[in-house]
Amino acid sequence: MTTTSSTPATRQGPGESSTAGGTETGAPRRRGSVSRILNRMPRSAWPLLVFVLLFVIGGLIRPNLLSLDSLIGTATFAMILAIASFGQTAAVIQGGIDLSVPNTIAFSALSYLTLIGPLGPVGGFIGALLAGTLIGVVNGTIVAKLGLTPIVTTIAMNGLLFGVVLLTFKNSELTVIPQFLTDITATKIDVFGLRVAAVLPLGLALMLLLQFVLSYTGWGRSLFLVGSAPETAKLAGQPVDRIRIAGYALSSLLAAFSGIVIVGFYAQASATMGSEYLLGSVAAVLVGGASIAGGRGSMIGTLGGALVLGQVATLVAVANLGSNIQQLIYGVIVLIVIALYAKRGRD
Amino acid sequence: MTTATVRPRQAGALRLWNAPGITRLRREGAVAPITAFVAFFLVYVIINPGLLTRFQLQTAGNLVVPLALAALGQLIIVLVGGIDISIGAIMSLANVVFATAMVSLPVPLAILAGIAAGLACGLFNGYLVAYLRLPAIAVTLASAFIIGSISREVMDRPGGGITPEFYLATSGELLPFIPISLFWLAVIATGLWFVLQRTALGRHIYGVGSNMDSVSAAGLNARGAQLAAFALSSVIVSFGAIMLAGSTITGDPRSGDPYLLSSIAAVALAGASFTGGRGSIIGTILAACTLGLVGSLLFFAGINSYWQYVISALIVISVVGIPVIWKKIYLALRKANS
Repeated sequence: MTTTSSTPATRQGPGESSTAGGTETGAPRRRGSVSRILNRMPRSAWPLLVFVLLFVIGGLIRPNLLSLDSLIGTATFAMILAIASFGQTAAVIQGGIDLSVPNTIAFSALSYLTLIGPLGPVGGFIGALLAGTLIGVVNGTIVAKLGLTPIVTTIAMNGLLFGVVLLTFKNSELTVIPQFLTDITATKIDVFGLRVAAVLPLGLALMLLLQFVLSYTGWGRSLFLVGSAPETAKLAGQPVDRIRIAGYALSSLLAAFSGIVIVGFYAQASATMGSEYLLGSVAAVLVGGASIAGGRGSMIGTLGGALVLGQVATLVAVANLGSNIQQLIYGVIVLIVIALYAKRGRD
Repeated sequence: MTTATVRPRQAGALRLWNAPGITRLRREGAVAPITAFVAFFLVYVIINPGLLTRFQLQTAGNLVVPLALAALGQLIIVLVGGIDISIGAIMSLANVVFATAMVSLPVPLAILAGIAAGLACGLFNGYLVAYLRLPAIAVTLASAFIIGSISREVMDRPGGGITPEFYLATSGELLPFIPISLFWLAVIATGLWFVLQRTALGRHIYGVGSNMDSVSAAGLNARGAQLAAFALSSVIVSFGAIMLAGSTITGDPRSGDPYLLSSIAAVALAGASFTGGRGSIIGTILAACTLGLVGSLLFFAGINSYWQYVISALIVISVVGIPVIWKKIYLALRKANS
């Protein structure tokens, strides 16, 4: 793989100081604090900055876009994409990619709706999440123990799940959504005097939790280590295989969670409900500043990436350009982002 | 193992196993997919002997040829150590450009237009990967969005001006006995084999995949070879798109979408190394034939055809995984013996 010649400081994500920072105080500290901030802060802050910029540009074109309602609308749409992309973030950070996200979403959504019959809403919820985690454990075991490429493994898993979904759920259009699920996703609630869909605070809480795990727990840091330098991690005595498997398990667990959230929010499920998240989740993660080669990325950045894509969707809808042009702009944005990050990485 | 203890019959088998052609296939990882195909083909013929009739063979050929060509395109990118997420989109674009051009232009010009559209995509990807040194997976992810969008702009719903004569020439009964689509596949694959195995460019492509720095250090144009690989790949994929347009007699802006995942699966099944430098043309074609026919085998066996997704995945995982497990067991045994 291509290892860009970046310094240790740029390779580590935000908030690394608690665990890894203590061991190596020499080299990174000598650089000025300004360059340290420039090198470390922007990764996750830039997408948010671009989002604000796009939001203001939207307001200049159409003044009524510069409202809180419009912001909440975009943020809600973006939060769904972000929740679906958090798992992908974990997979990319540990040096892989999870292309089984789409059908993990469909599988968990449909199995949730099937399981609430015998197990009740909460039992079904747990059951679907466990099934999702199992998918990730299988993915991770094949990648780590058999040494198959992540892309091939997860594509095969995606195909397998598609078959399982089609074979298992005869009536693939289920629309009976339990009240419990609607309450935590689609119901409008008051947060600081604002009427927002419940999925927004739910996603924010999830993001904070995941970012905390990534930044401040040893396990979270080990994902970055395995992603950026697997050989070093092995030499340092890290259980690399186990960390990778756990990374894929987290990815699928979160994809399964997002499947349930999507079902709750849109109140419908089908076998192909996840297909737009195949490339969408990877795009959000890349725009959020993660490195496709692994070892870099953050949940905040992914949310920022999803917000950028969401705002583009809003602007395209307002300009009446159609979803086709939206896809084109998504592609151009991803291209610009990877070109910029690659340039910064080489400097 | 010493040759003295090997009995003559085994020695014969061993000699065959070590023959130059077989050794090359082994090195390229093609033995497993060829074995898998032979087993699959036997099962297929036992369940449905009608495969060997003219009509069924032709239908099967039309089904697998676009996939085989898409997989060959993917193989070339994999050989230089990359991966092409935009392969389905390139296929869609070449497909709709060709179908649109067929309305007003003569056939050769329409074919050229389709290939030029695909080639432009390949050069775009190749330039970004080879000269701007961006990761192939990220570049092609972005261009998958862009190219897919362009192809839906060219043609927003299935249509185009493909004539029955063109169907006859690509997918019909033009030749006696042999399905014409397999003939075209053989022509293109032989051409590709010649470029990859018998020209300097081909050796450079394999070399870049094995070790780009060494190729550069040897004074060869490594980036040029990488760009050429993307260009070559997109041309092969465009041929696949044209064959697909011929067999369905329509241009469809979403026709290439299913080929993204299945082309990668076929290349994986072919035993190619995703770090580059290793992969076999014949292995890839047979892997594509296997994966492409799983669905129709289940149909003839009277099994719910949804099983094809499960079975295809299991074939890929087991054919690629079993040699790895085998090697691990072998190493463990040898360690235990010593």
